Amino acid sequence: MSRRRDDYDDDIEDEDQDDALEEDDDDDDYGSSRGGGGRSGGKRRRSDFIDDVAEEDEDEEEDYDEDDEDYGGGGGRGASKRRGGKAAKKASGAGFFELEADVDSDAEDEDEEDGEDDFIVNERLDPRDEEDARRMHRRPLIAPEDEQEDVEALERRIQERFSRNRTEYDDDDATEVEQQALLPSVRDPKLWMVKCAIGHEREVAVCLMQKCIDRSSELQIRAAIALDHLKNYIYIEADKEAHVKEACKGMRNIYTGSSILLVPIKEMTDVLSVESKAIDISRDTWVRMKIGTYKGDLAKVINVDNVRQRVTVKLIPRIDLQALANKLEGREVQKKKAFTPPPRLINVEEAREMHIRVERRREQTTGDYYDNINGMMFKGGFLYKSVSMKSISTQNIQPSFDELEKFNHPTENGDGELASTMSTLFANRKKGHFMKGDRVIVIKGDLKNLKGWVEKVEEGTVHIKPKAEGLLTTLAVNEKELCKYFEPGNHVKVVSGAQEGVTGMVVTVKGHLVNIVSDTTKEVLRVFSDNVVESSEVTSGITKIGDFELHDLVQLDNSNFGVIIRVDSEAFQVLKGVADKAEVELVRLRDIKYKIDRKVSAQDRYKNTVSVKDVVKVVEGPCKGRQGPVEHINRGILFVYDRHHLEHAGFICAKAQSCVLVGGSRANGDRNGNPLASRVAQLRPPTRFPNSPGRGGPPLPGGRYRGGRGGKDSLVGTVIKIRMGPFKGYKGRVVDVHGTSVRIELESQMKVVTVDRTHISDSVNVTTPYRDTHRYGSGSETPMHPSRTPLHPYQTPMRDAGATPIHDGMRTPMRDRAWNPYAPMSPPRDSWEDGNPGSWGSSPQYQPGSPRSRAYEAPTPGSGWANTPGGSYSDAGTPRDTTPTYGNAPSPYLPSTPGGPPPMTPSSAYLPGTPGGQPMTPGGGGLDMMSPAVGGDNDGPWFLPDILVNVRRAGEDASLGVIREVLLDGACRIALGASGNGEIITANPNEIEVVVPRKADKIKIMGGEKRGATGKLIGVDGTDGIVKVDESLDVKILDMVILAKLAHLS
Amino acid sequence: MTTTTTTAAQIPTSFGHELRACRRCRLVKTYDQFRDTGCENCPFFKMHEDSDIVADCTTGTFNGIIALMDPSRSWAAKWLRFGKFVPGCYTLDVSETLSDEMQSICHDNDVRYIPPKQA
Repeated sequence: MSRRRDDYDDDIEDEDQDDALEEDDDDDDYGSSRGGGGRSGGKRRRSDFIDDVAEEDEDEEEDYDEDDEDYGGGGGRGASKRRGGKAAKKASGAGFFELEADVDSDAEDEDEEDGEDDFIVNERLDPRDEEDARRMHRRPLIAPEDEQEDVEALERRIQERFSRNRTEYDDDDATEVEQQALLPSVRDPKLWMVKCAIGHEREVAVCLMQKCIDRSSELQIRAAIALDHLKNYIYIEADKEAHVKEACKGMRNIYTGSSILLVPIKEMTDVLSVESKAIDISRDTWVRMKIGTYKGDLAKVINVDNVRQRVTVKLIPRIDLQALANKLEGREVQKKKAFTPPPRLINVEEAREMHIRVERRREQTTGDYYDNINGMMFKGGFLYKSVSMKSISTQNIQPSFDELEKFNHPTENGDGELASTMSTLFANRKKGHFMKGDRVIVIKGDLKNLKGWVEKVEEGTVHIKPKAEGLLTTLAVNEKELCKYFEPGNHVKVVSGAQEGVTGMVVTVKGHLVNIVSDTTKEVLRVFSDNVVESSEVTSGITKIGDFELHDLVQLDNSNFGVIIRVDSEAFQVLKGVADKAEVELVRLRDIKYKIDRKVSAQDRYKNTVSVKDVVKVVEGPCKGRQGPVEHINRGILFVYDRHHLEHAGFICAKAQSCVLVGGSRANGDRNGNPLASRVAQLRPPTRFPNSPGRGGPPLPGGRYRGGRGGKDSLVGTVIKIRMGPFKGYKGRVVDVHGTSVRIELESQMKVVTVDRTHISDSVNVTTPYRDTHRYGSGSETPMHPSRTPLHPYQTPMRDAGATPIHDGMRTPMRDRAWNPYAPMSPPRDSWEDGNPGSWGSSPQYQPGSPRSRAYEAPTPGSGWANTPGGSYSDAGTPRDTTPTYGNAPSPYLPSTPGGPPPMTPSSAYLPGTPGGQPMTPGGGGLDMMSPAVGGDNDGPWFLPDILVNVRRAGEDASLGVIREVLLDGACRIALGASGNGEIITANPNEIEVVVPRKADKIKIMGGEKRGATGKLIGVDGTDGIVKVDESLDVKILDMVILAKLAHLS
Repeated sequence: MTTTTTTAAQIPTSFGHELRACRRCRLVKTYDQFRDTGCENCPFFKMHEDSDIVADCTTGTFNGIIALMDPSRSWAAKWLRFGKFVPGCYTLDVSETLSDEMQSICHDNDVRYIPPKQA
């Protein structure tokens, strides 16, 4: 020992004097403490020490000041840690010595006390550290009892410690506090970070070691550290940078040319704290592959060889049999390494068919048979692979449901798989998994399937209050026997796993799995009920990582870009900008180069400029027929958002060339102010407007729309605007017409007012024409019910006007304007939503100026239009074809349609003299006429038997009834009463209003492909209803407009 | 110099997968080195007598290497409690514990064994 000390001292002499002195003091400290045990250390030594302490305290005060300067507020941790360390070190030593001092020399003791006092006062003044205060009470000055106890304990411990071990730093009994005492101080050697060759970190450290041994005393470095997780650098511990340079001189793989960085004292411990990987691999645990073809894949541990550090895992093979066959037959092997085959269970027969040699071998250790193909072992379609323990990661493996499902191969015992799955899940459960009030179900034991609520949670045991009747007391159940339980309709939040953060509604529960409809993406997610908590929170989940947000357009690499369609906890799903095929890629943050945020435009098929937010329709490719606003444009690729497209978060990627502008998407003065003429001219130069000789009115066919029938009810159900009187400016739906007065249900106020008929303008309801238009595009032109035409005579002319442009495939926008030049509010959505059956009313964002109104929802059957097969539309279709040429090939119906040639504008029938007198609303006047068309044409197909409706007849209160039969003309036979056992009446469609279903109601779907199906409304989200269809048990998201409450028939 | 007073442990002759670390003192050497000369800090394991003991007392899974030229005066050695060990190459952390049998050998030889802190 002394020998060493001497060496030490000698050594230090080379160094800075102050340093040396201090180090010496410290060393004394330790030395004498050791001496303390045996007392033989001599008095001189102790007095030295005590003096030194006094001296050192001053030093330390200085040190602290330095620290403060060095680290400032931010460095508080390091500084205080260090201080703490020193204080603790001192405390243990000082406490001990004090006792000794008491016995030995009082005078010196006083000395010491003074010193200590000073020290402590300083400490106290220093408000920074609680830790110090805590540690302080080890000091004798706080309370006498403590002192006694502490000192005794301390003495015992120190005696015990030093009697056995006489080294500088003691290894035993490593408590937190003692470790604190070892925190680096300014007097300790420093750590320097030195650059070295990548991959040679260990080698460099070992070589330095060898060099030190070979050259003995010449090198003054104390240690060299190579961390596994830090490439390109090693740390060297030395007192001086010069020592580091000296040591590195002449070393291969070390680059001292670049700067040698000093590690701040507070970070020194971080360098040495490595996370100890507890490798706990046992059979049946789930792991993930870290490297190779299967990187990231889930695998199941089958066998563990601890000696050879190898693990046999079961994987879903990623084997391209064709490639394998080629290789085996010595054919040319494509050197396309980049391609990783998708995981797929292997079929041995398939392999045989490809003339791949399959051997059946018996594994010696397990006795199981495996199919051996080219050295790879297969069983049950899975690959069994022996890998190094280092190549798998075992920590925090959270298999997603989909992954586990793939492992659930039919040949395997499904139950066992699930059990192991569950055990994995349970092992991954966080602390505090169950909380009071959680609904749980017992999954094991006698009480299996018992449901209840959590009352109290203790370590490992959960007290539940059973739901079952007769069981009043709470039961204590092992945590492992419980699983969370949800019911459809619960609103939940995913709290762990890949979908963490997502909220949604539970739609089905299957065992431990719940299917959730996400609030944001509307996708159905399958998650373990364990990963879910009930929550009313509606979040989008994570929508942002770094600078990138959901729905951003991002550049991936030089040639690829795409829209982020989903944000997972660690990665993005990006719909790549490849036209005509939906290519989704999972990318990590680092794979994204930047966000594309340019304002560009593209040209559609007809060379119209398309910019962001314009509504386009895809006319080519797999997404043909889809339409929606353009969200992003890049390199001629449009990302169109169609909220009815249920994949890829509603995004469609298409070439600008394969889209046509639908228009009307925004209040773009340029476009809106540029109605028909220029557009039409531009698009279809030879457009011939139907000649309307002698007609006043605008040069648009609009005027001729007035060919509506002069029925009294024609106005009913339309949305109008009041243009005079006390309600001027209000919009509303006409509920009734009495002579010259009209009863209007105001939109903004829930009341019905009566106004003079001349006080209304009907510029709002423009929905009908749009619907029609769309039909044309969809191409059901054959007149199947020609007889109907006379019924709706006014339609023909309407068509021809509308149809003319539409016929060309993309005239809708023009048509909007043609129809209502005076109605800039025209909801643009109509022009495209129609294409998406059953959901038109639900995207408020696309109908800026046009508030949703009852008129749209109920009596104007939006979906009905879209769904009506051929029938009523078709009659319109015919004229469409003919009208462009009008004179040339007149539709057979034309002659008979009163609305056809202009002079007979029937509008005069009920707007006596007003066509001219209503200069403000010429187009609108026409629209009036059309409104009944809505009723007449749509209600028929729209209503269905057995649904609950309100019948509103003029002069009567609304009464509930059940539709018994829908008559050919659209009228319905309705049995009054909620359960349909009252009087049977016949009502016109415009008197009927569907009863809007509520959550949990039985419903009937009135539109879309599921028309006629019944189901249950399990949730309502804005304008969408979440419906579980009875027949298929599918969960559908449908527009509320097409849902009707089903009557409870008696 | 300290290095003159204490003979250093063998220095690993390679840097790859052959390296193993003593589970008690965390000295790093190659398997062959352990088999031939045992562990300089833990001679009581008598690894050089039986190569099976080498497998039991050492592990291939460890994290980081620290070459200690002067354990008695190195802060890192102090922090890692390697202060009393011979100079040599150590690892910062082993992830496997000694078997009970080996632990009892430690105990018999009055050597404290500190199992690695498990994450």
